[in-house]
Amino acid sequence: MDQAEFLFQILLPVLMEGMIVTIKLIVFTAPFGLILGILVAVGRVYGSKPISLLCKGAVGFIKGTPLLLMLFILYFGLPSIGITLSAFVASLVGFIMCNGAYNSEYIRGAISSIKEGQIIAAQALGMTRMQAVRHIILPQALIRAIPGLSNEFIYLIKYSSLAYMLTVIELTGAGKMVATKYFEFTEVFMIVGIGYLILVTITTIAVMLIERKVAVPGMTQSGRNMLDIL
Amino acid sequence: MNHKGLGLVLVLIMAVTVAFAGCTSSEQTPAEEQVIIEETTVYTVGIDGEYPPYAFIDSEGNAQGFDVESARWIAEQQGFEVKFQPMAWDSIIPSLMNNKIDMVYAGMTITDERKEKVDFSIPYWVVNQSVAVHEDSGYTLEDFKSGSLVVGAQSGTTGQIWVEENLIDTGLMPKENLKASYSNFPLVAEDLKIQRIDAAIYDKPPMLDAIAGKPIVIVGEINTGEEYGVAIRKDDPELLAMMNEGITALMADPYWEELKTKYEMTE
Repeated sequence: MDQAEFLFQILLPVLMEGMIVTIKLIVFTAPFGLILGILVAVGRVYGSKPISLLCKGAVGFIKGTPLLLMLFILYFGLPSIGITLSAFVASLVGFIMCNGAYNSEYIRGAISSIKEGQIIAAQALGMTRMQAVRHIILPQALIRAIPGLSNEFIYLIKYSSLAYMLTVIELTGAGKMVATKYFEFTEVFMIVGIGYLILVTITTIAVMLIERKVAVPGMTQSGRNMLDIL
Repeated sequence: MNHKGLGLVLVLIMAVTVAFAGCTSSEQTPAEEQVIIEETTVYTVGIDGEYPPYAFIDSEGNAQGFDVESARWIAEQQGFEVKFQPMAWDSIIPSLMNNKIDMVYAGMTITDERKEKVDFSIPYWVVNQSVAVHEDSGYTLEDFKSGSLVVGAQSGTTGQIWVEENLIDTGLMPKENLKASYSNFPLVAEDLKIQRIDAAIYDKPPMLDAIAGKPIVIVGEINTGEEYGVAIRKDDPELLAMMNEGITALMADPYWEELKTKYEMTE
């Protein structure tokens, strides 16, 4: 079998299927991870003492355990207490927890960079504390959190390959199956690597566009956007 | 960074490089001498760490099993030493080709695809594939062969290949129904136990071991008549000759029967 035939007839079709699964994993995880991140960050900074402690504890637990271990518990461990998740759902739950925990840290950092006085000013205008957080603090904090959040998104693209360990055939898994069958490890993994590089590059460009779109004059340094250099 | 700092870093990098370069050469020399003095070569044998009764790691971390003991016997008889390296089965052939190990002696089926990449010794064992289901499910071998079940197999095993060639390529079974990315068989057995999959396919003796004590029953065998052989790099005909000689001698020796009794294996 020659190289071109292997590449176009065997490898690429399988990798495309894997790529679709990878994209599905990312697309389903990202929004929930972001929402979870916002809720946890707000809960931690503005919540009552028990809520704040709960959020802190949960984030500490998720940050402190390897994602792979968590996926194994979700997939192979939970059935022993009667919860049987499919491999795809178990991966999603694990990714959302992990993504949400890290996102919350980026958002928390952004929230604390906004001056306390803004809440007091909003309250003086008759807003409740939660209204002030929602309408005044969060819109600013989220803009500031974009670099961190996009970083976490890129991590998500790459750690989505762990779903392979739970029998989800995503990009890496698809590559490994072909590599195992045809013993062409170097070629296959190089192309898999290019696949991830493409995903990450698209993300990076999209983030730059978003950053430019949401930039507020005076608050962020919109003039320093990478796109302007390009 | 100012230029002074940069210079310092460069000097440090160079110092470390030189230090490690020195390290390597001083470590290698005595190792080579040792080999010359003792005149025995140490071969690294790649095994699957979870493939009882052929090869497995016992609770104390030692390699054990029918194939492991066979390899030790042959090594002694042929005058070389062996050390065992458990590794991921689906990448064991590339490891062999890249000199990470010198042979694979752990129930490896001789297939044409594998033969393109590595050499095999004479066959020393014949096995068939077994199909197992959950005891409550009532599935039969006919259900399995009709392609209507969700099947689990360890990645890179002949069971996976059998299902692909005989059920998927013939259009009997949708591709998604074969779950073959498990890194070892105990995980497949675990998923069969909770009925996330309907059936599992694997070589019979290690399957018996993995399903012991679980609500899983073997419903039948698929007569594939696969032959096990020792895989050796193509550029290592010397070792191949030694292993062939060793296997022939072992199979003629009373120790062969002893091993078979010890590991409860029947041909």
